[in-house]
Amino acid sequence: MSHETRDLEQDILQTLLRRLEQFPNKAGEITAQTDLAADMTIDSVNMMELLMEVEDTYDVSFPLNMMANINTVQDLADQIKKLVEDRP
Amino acid sequence: MSVSERFAELAQIRDTLGAVEADPSRIVMEKILSPTEARIAGRRTILVGTNNYLGLTFEPEVLDAACAAMREQGSGTTGSRMANGSFAGHAALERDFAEFYGVPSAMIFSTGYQTNLGLLMGILRPGDKVVLDSHSHACIYDGCRISGADFLAFRHNDPEDLRKRLRRMGGAAEGALVIAEGLYSMLGDTAPLAELCAVAKEYGAWFMVDEAHSFGVYGERGLGLCEAAGILDEVDFITGTFSKSLASLGGFFVSRHPEMQLLRYGSRPYIFTASSSPANIAAAHAALGAIRTRPGLKDKLWANANRLHDGLRALGYELASTVSPVIAVRVPSKEGGARLWNDLLEHGVYANLVLPPAAPDSAALLRCSLSAAHSFAQIDAILAAFETVGAGAGADRAACAGAGAR
Repeated sequence: MSHETRDLEQDILQTLLRRLEQFPNKAGEITAQTDLAADMTIDSVNMMELLMEVEDTYDVSFPLNMMANINTVQDLADQIKKLVEDRP
Repeated sequence: MSVSERFAELAQIRDTLGAVEADPSRIVMEKILSPTEARIAGRRTILVGTNNYLGLTFEPEVLDAACAAMREQGSGTTGSRMANGSFAGHAALERDFAEFYGVPSAMIFSTGYQTNLGLLMGILRPGDKVVLDSHSHACIYDGCRISGADFLAFRHNDPEDLRKRLRRMGGAAEGALVIAEGLYSMLGDTAPLAELCAVAKEYGAWFMVDEAHSFGVYGERGLGLCEAAGILDEVDFITGTFSKSLASLGGFFVSRHPEMQLLRYGSRPYIFTASSSPANIAAAHAALGAIRTRPGLKDKLWANANRLHDGLRALGYELASTVSPVIAVRVPSKEGGARLWNDLLEHGVYANLVLPPAAPDSAALLRCSLSAAHSFAQIDAILAAFETVGAGAGADRAACAGAGAR
């Protein structure tokens, strides 16, 4: 894995962790393995706002239907990274 | 997730509402007295949360048409139009909608929810692209989700944000579907439809508008906000419901594209649902006639909306939008909203209590929807109740009357 790729992955993960801190969670500290649905309380409006911010930060389109396959913060970070790398 | 876990989740939602005494399921209208009054908990109560914008649910011509249709055609159709065939009333109402909008044809569905579900499930396939206003109604989200299309949101009522998201999609923006509503039902704000439509067309996208809350209310002829915005010739799909201004149950879809009739062969909510009952169709048809011939109804509604909006503002309440037939009072906390809502009920006024996430950008809303059938005396009684409960609410009232009041 190149430095550039690792930096991007870390940047996305840190951005998400910072942003998620404002929501209630049952898991204590939020980590990459925190389950977004089971461990956290984020209503649909806040989740949509978070995804719009992600889109603007990384200049990607993140369809809401993609969330059906995402469980953890790491899953979300991986998906964003893939979208950035596939960006035309 | 198991069914029992889901039950536990639902019980938690109920308990959360119960804890702040905000469970709407406890409201039972023991007797409906008029379009604007009912008896609730033994008390005569003014209804200001019905969406009965033109107040036609007790109009003699509407009731007579519904009763006659039921006697002549029976109480139900007992099946879908594709299986059992259409009644003459279904076809006649579709012809009238098409003629009213000046389009080749129209389709009617059994509810407003199913209209959006039916259109979106009928025209979208996995991989198709949709960009919708973030405040869109649940049935729009559900239609997109079930269709398998890729859908993302643009910031509410923001044409530049829509432009940014379409640009980001590159070539996929051409042929994408952009969705907005006319009047948004929770905050009572209206969409900048001309600007949104222009952006959609600039990128070669289709443009759909849901006029559920704006049909019969906006536009010189009552066609909705697309008429008021002057984009009837450009918008591709318009949907609406019978359960607001049309005083019945059902929904309609019109399009300037004649091919849209083909939807009848591929829309599951159309094919697999029992068609609207003769009484529902006849009531909606009579109400449509009233919209077309009695512009005074709309004028009365707007006079009522202005009176309530001005009155609430004078009392110091923070309102979520400029004047419209939906007037939402912002309350900073769920508990404060529930307290005011319960106090209003005790003072004989029923409004809608809206809590997050249904209340966007706000902790709670006391949502009022006006009717042409409200008298000025009723509007003044509603204002008096707001004044009384506000005076007793202390901190809640002070917070409502914050710097954001307009």
